[in-house]
Amino acid sequence: MERRLFIKGLGAITLITALPFTDALALDGYHHVDPVRDGRPKKKHNYAMVIVQNRCIGCKACELSCKKTWNLSEKPENYRTKVMYIGKAQSFNYRRSWMPVLCNQCDNPPCVSVCPTSASYKREEDGIILVDPKKCIGCKTCMAGCPYDARYYDERIHSVDKCTFCQPRLEKGLEPACVENCLMGARVFGDLNDPESDVSKLLRKAMSYHVLKPEEGTKCNVFYTTRT
Amino acid sequence: MSEFIMNNKNIPTIPFILLGFILCAVGGAAVVMTLVNGHEAMYGVTRDVPWGLLISTYAYFVIISTGIAFIGGLAHAFGFEKYALISKRIVVLAVVILLAGFTQILMEVGSPLKMIYMMISPNFKAPIFWMGLFYGIELVILAFELFLVFRKKSSHWIAALTGFLALFVGVLATSNLGYVFGSLSAKAWYHGIYFSVFLVVSGVTAGAGVLVLVHYIVYKGRVPAGISDSLTSLGKLMGGGIGVMSFLYLWKMISSISTSPGDAQVAAQALISGAMSINFWAGEILLAVVIPLLLIMTAKGRVGNIALAGFVFLIGLFFTRYDFVIAGQLPLVKEGFIGSVQLASYKPSMAEWLIYLFGFGVFFLLYFSAEKFLNLETEHH
Repeated sequence: MERRLFIKGLGAITLITALPFTDALALDGYHHVDPVRDGRPKKKHNYAMVIVQNRCIGCKACELSCKKTWNLSEKPENYRTKVMYIGKAQSFNYRRSWMPVLCNQCDNPPCVSVCPTSASYKREEDGIILVDPKKCIGCKTCMAGCPYDARYYDERIHSVDKCTFCQPRLEKGLEPACVENCLMGARVFGDLNDPESDVSKLLRKAMSYHVLKPEEGTKCNVFYTTRT
Repeated sequence: MSEFIMNNKNIPTIPFILLGFILCAVGGAAVVMTLVNGHEAMYGVTRDVPWGLLISTYAYFVIISTGIAFIGGLAHAFGFEKYALISKRIVVLAVVILLAGFTQILMEVGSPLKMIYMMISPNFKAPIFWMGLFYGIELVILAFELFLVFRKKSSHWIAALTGFLALFVGVLATSNLGYVFGSLSAKAWYHGIYFSVFLVVSGVTAGAGVLVLVHYIVYKGRVPAGISDSLTSLGKLMGGGIGVMSFLYLWKMISSISTSPGDAQVAAQALISGAMSINFWAGEILLAVVIPLLLIMTAKGRVGNIALAGFVFLIGLFFTRYDFVIAGQLPLVKEGFIGSVQLASYKPSMAEWLIYLFGFGVFFLLYFSAEKFLNLETEHH
């Protein structure tokens, strides 16, 4: 009897102790991107992308469509998005071997704070980070300061260039080109402020998800999941 | 205190002016070719290593300039009379070396003309904005100091204030340059306050080295007794500076290596035993620390030894600047999320080396022209 009581007590203590960490364990994923709860700025739209890694087959249609849509240079290192290969030695799961990367449209963007001319800026209405080529002096501090290697210098426009979540397409009611052209639905885009958007639903449904380099405190708006 | 020092008209300027012309001509050709063909075609910098040789050379020059201005400030504002005896050369060298540094940054940034936007739409949070502002103000202060040292009569009070401002703004500019790197949390090797401190100390040390070396050259080894004491004192300053730099560097290395695993550790390993180990051991340790310290410790007042120490240190210090800028970019940020450890690589292109020489050409041409056409002897103080 005493032993049973002890085990019950231990279980209760474990549960109580674990309660504060349930959010960190991403049991309720949406709370991680709640603009109030994690100190994100309030925006009219909170555009975000969810990468479902186990759906990505590495076809690179997203890379190509991005280059084509925005007429990017042929130079291999001049890309806005890239599908990176994670070597098999690091993973036994084939479906987790590809990792699409792009600008994380951070809510605490280091690239914006280091730009001396305010050429890099974050739109208040939707959080998208843009570069004004007219103001960019090409000091490349934003490139060095980005923890995600999301930027490159485009000699043709004499400015740093980066992913904009296809902002001009969004204004026409279209999805980003990489999302539209993803054969496997590995890239999902939407507004986190809308609980019925695909990204909100996906994050709610996901068993777990993560952002890249959370230790940087950048508050990314690109999320990665493999368990949907 | 005032001391008249014999006017030194027998300065070996022509060989240095010629050298300056040649370097400016060769480097100028690379400048023109780069302006025509663009950075992408001419430079070795990449997406992974966006800052290369020219940023390193920029830092090398401007930090030496502010170091020299610091010594000038000690003379005018804080009563270090030994340094006041060479105050004209201090100001001229500070101005010329700052201008040489500006040539490098102008060629490094992609669109220097757009720098006007630093005034039209400044970002006060950006360390590079403050760096530009402080170095701009430093140039104006030094130009005014230049005007003062060439005036027949000038108020001691104004000279003291100007000297102090040159010292103060110079320290702000250099420590802020350190913070341009230190503010980048994405680059663990740069991140923190270390470089803001290290760059100021190394600037003063290098400034002392330049002053001793230049005086030794212009007097062709026969330094007058009046300023020999000043140069010996600068030698001590240089020795002390190298000691403090070594102390700071040692702890930087220890903290980076013990930060395991991390990009700072990867950068430190690249220096100690990796791709940059020759630069590190031969350049940073042997040329910037061991040989200069040995020469200074065995100098016993011989200015020649101190000048040689300054010369060797200035070569070594370039490796220190270059290695610090490049090593911080070698750990690829994307490796952090794909789980492998690969290093980026960077090799300066021919155009970058020629523009680097252009900076030295500007220094030789302007400074030795000043020696040739102006009287840089400080006649009274």
